[in-house]
Amino acid sequence: MIDVLLKIIVFGTVVGGIWGLVASGFSLIFGVSRILNFAHGAAFVCAAYVAFLLSGSGFNVYLSILAGLAVSGLLGLLVYLLTRPVRKNEVMVIIITLALALLIQQILLVNFGDKGISMLPLVQGVVELNNVKVTNMRIASFVLAVTSLVSLDLMVSKTSIGKKIIATSQDSEAAMLIGIDVEKVFILVMVLSSILAGFAGILYAQIFAISPETSLKALIYAFAIVILGGLGSLRGSIVSSFIVGYILVLTITFLGARWSEFVMLLAIVTILVVRPTGLFGVEE
Amino acid sequence: MRYAKAVLTALILLAAITSLCVQGGQKTEREKVVIGVIGPMSLPEGMAEEKAVKLAAEEINAQGGILGHPVEVVVGDTKLDSNTASTEFRRLATIENADVIIGGFSSGVMLTMMETMAETKTLFLADASSPAHAKKVAENYERYKYWFRVTQNNGSTFALDLADMVRFLRDSGYDVKKVYIIRDEHVWTDPVVEALTPLLEEQGVEIVKDVRVPRGYSEYEQLIHEAESLDADLIMPILAIAGTGDILTKQWATLKPNILLAGHDLAAIDAEFYNKTNGMANYEIFLADGGALITAPPTEKCKEFVDAYKKKYGHYPESHQAYGAYDAVYLYKTVVEMAAKAGEKDPFDPDVLVKYLEKFDASNPIELTRPIAFYKNHDLMWGDNYVRNWISQWQDGKQYIIYPESVANGELKLPPWIE
Amino acid sequence: MKSILKLFGVLMILVSAALPVVIPEAYLYLIGLTYLFAIVVISWDLMVGYTGQVNLGHTTFVGLGAYIAALLQTPMRIGIAIHPLAAIILGGLAAALVGFFIGIITLRLRGYYFSLVTAILPLVFMQTVFIWRDVFGGEEGFSIAGYSLLDTTLSKYYFSLALLLVSLAAMRRIVKSRIGLRFMAVRDSEELAESIGIDTTKYKVLAFVLSSFFAGIAGAAIVNYRYTVGPELYDIPLMLLVILSAVLGGLGTIYGPLIGAIVIYLAKNWWLRDLIDIASLPINDEIVLYAILIAIGILMPRGFFHELRERIEEKA
Repeated sequence: MIDVLLKIIVFGTVVGGIWGLVASGFSLIFGVSRILNFAHGAAFVCAAYVAFLLSGSGFNVYLSILAGLAVSGLLGLLVYLLTRPVRKNEVMVIIITLALALLIQQILLVNFGDKGISMLPLVQGVVELNNVKVTNMRIASFVLAVTSLVSLDLMVSKTSIGKKIIATSQDSEAAMLIGIDVEKVFILVMVLSSILAGFAGILYAQIFAISPETSLKALIYAFAIVILGGLGSLRGSIVSSFIVGYILVLTITFLGARWSEFVMLLAIVTILVVRPTGLFGVEE
Repeated sequence: MRYAKAVLTALILLAAITSLCVQGGQKTEREKVVIGVIGPMSLPEGMAEEKAVKLAAEEINAQGGILGHPVEVVVGDTKLDSNTASTEFRRLATIENADVIIGGFSSGVMLTMMETMAETKTLFLADASSPAHAKKVAENYERYKYWFRVTQNNGSTFALDLADMVRFLRDSGYDVKKVYIIRDEHVWTDPVVEALTPLLEEQGVEIVKDVRVPRGYSEYEQLIHEAESLDADLIMPILAIAGTGDILTKQWATLKPNILLAGHDLAAIDAEFYNKTNGMANYEIFLADGGALITAPPTEKCKEFVDAYKKKYGHYPESHQAYGAYDAVYLYKTVVEMAAKAGEKDPFDPDVLVKYLEKFDASNPIELTRPIAFYKNHDLMWGDNYVRNWISQWQDGKQYIIYPESVANGELKLPPWIE
Repeated sequence: MKSILKLFGVLMILVSAALPVVIPEAYLYLIGLTYLFAIVVISWDLMVGYTGQVNLGHTTFVGLGAYIAALLQTPMRIGIAIHPLAAIILGGLAAALVGFFIGIITLRLRGYYFSLVTAILPLVFMQTVFIWRDVFGGEEGFSIAGYSLLDTTLSKYYFSLALLLVSLAAMRRIVKSRIGLRFMAVRDSEELAESIGIDTTKYKVLAFVLSSFFAGIAGAAIVNYRYTVGPELYDIPLMLLVILSAVLGGLGTIYGPLIGAIVIYLAKNWWLRDLIDIASLPINDEIVLYAILIAIGILMPRGFFHELRERIEEKA
């Protein structure tokens, strides 16, 4: 019993941490600029592909990872530039970011094939916790993901940049009136969030493997988490990403792997029926 | 304003009509033999089919064509979508007047194309792995008899390959008693496991658990843990659609359990698999289809084909579909010539050719890149002397065939962490 | 002016009816399929273009209609074989019913929840196909050959043409009616609509139900057209093609999406691939389509149809 519980906690937490990085950025972008960034999954995947390709052609692994993160940041900038002219038109924002996501997916597919790529774990080895073998990379990913999430939360709630972000997300016009350069805040949030997604992608590629189709998977998890946590609520996304992680692992353990996707999707739909604003959301 | 709508509609429709009228045509005196090739042309499966058919057509044309008629190849792209596939098949059959259509890929798309095939009565030398297709031939022969599987084995023969794999491991000194199966949540794996269970029982091997995983599944570590706790000594993937066989391989190589990884993992067949997993594919045992034919061609013709392909396109066949498609062209040429020799009035008539194709049965296989024969339901015959999937292993960046001995070019190597 | 237009409409219908005389069967088959696709696109426009709620899971209803009809008309599956026409209508009704339940849950809330939920929906339904594969046939789908409403290409063509015309007329009537005006009021400003006493949720749900109904009918017709049903009718690529066609044509115009659907579907299945082959770039046709979509979204967010209409009006 302890074994099972430990397994659920360990696996659920790691998965939750990685998806938390994706979802928190997605939520932050929405909170600040009211943009549903469907291309968020593309940042997740692109960072991993760039890092894989560069390190595969002989570059230093850490430099390759940095390059991957830079590319995902640029992708955030691209999303900002593409959506800027139509920001007021929510239909078009959704359509453009979705098209961008699929465009990138197809480009990867055509150039690198549909089979996945995976990076050698940065930390090797396995530890045994009470009979459960856990790879060191999982532990490292967990620590890195949680550190990033905590720093993100501190940045938003404690620093002056964070205050600007909050002000903009509450009312961007009012923020403009009190002298905040709203466009700069938008850019900052887009780029930062995309880098977070890229970082998650790199962690994911260490433990699992990434194929062009993973971008869609990342996006769906991000959706599920923000719906659960409430749109635009950063802490809601962070908490619910772990809940989603545990639901996933619980399903695999008790119902069987075949149900893993289905139960998670169904859980989201159920939450919407019971509490449509999510756990921490506020009605607009 | 309303005027604008109308004009626009008119212009588009007119453009459509005029461009349509230019094309099309009626069957006249035979000037050539038209071979259609259909598949998902932006995926390696389709590309390999197209390239292989074009290569075969070129070779045949250099030797004077089929019954003196030059061969022309026309291409259809399914985009892996049923609507598009049925439209494209129809175009090849009725507009391009294809005498035979080669290719396919993916079971659902195949199912739709078989309907179009039945309607247009076109000979179809096909590729897809579900036993559902051959079953249709058996159930409604007159409607579906134009369909023959040339490219790979039926999904249910995977069970025979996998049972052989277990036997081979036991004979080589790795004692297998308990098998943990991880397979696609997909219809194609059902007959495999159904047929495999009694075959393993015969060997006294137990299936301790049979786990199905959805597309894109990634949490294999938990399954490996479970296999360990159930004392399994073999984890057997039967994975194609999930698309994440590489993750299983990676997590197995990372956790290093005292369990061998051996089964049918489509990802492992990919020649780039070793690089894409950063070498973690080492020691994985898998069923090779065409991929391993490059290193161990079973027939002389196969060796020639691989070399010719490499020479023409600069690389080896990108998927096993190439072998079947190449064979299909020669198979077609052979049966047409047989029909002509026997004095058939129209040696290109699909109803006639079906009879000649059926002559290649268990006692009379035709040796192309692989020895090809058909069952009564037009499925491809399985066996050491026909077509089967070779048991192979990744060893230090290379794929080696380790069984059957007649084609093997390597020996089984156990991972160092196995006790 | 109006009579000229009517004349023109009749002319167009006559031309489409006469197409089989001049066009080879294989292309006719494709054009008939295009008509069914057009119904899907127009029905998406009915929801998105008129009420402004972005439905990203319209294929849910296409797939639902398709599977329900296929199950009901093929005795090998669940032992029922009703008349194909009845099956098609039931397919549409089932889609409408599901649309109703999803609508009352998600459309109560303003903003983006509807888009997020509808984006996930098709994936949920796709999973059901894999999990209960004894019924739905899994990834392969299943065939309804022998139990279809239509047998020759010609009958298929005329059936889809008729279905398109009927659906088009019905949806046009809806948007031109008082209900349609309320849809647009909701789209332009929910606050304003509410302040003049419109129950916005009710009208959003109504639009969603109607839109789902036509999508379900189209899905069921597609199955009768090509004889097989499969999970790709739920899938995202189809959804994207619908969005692209409607956006290209111009949201909220009914005719724009009709034209968009015809152009895009024929392009995708016909000449686009050859064009790319000629250019020999490392891209596929989907990349081109998505790039077009982004360009249109930014440069002509109101669609080709609006844009052209304005140009002509300026000149006049």
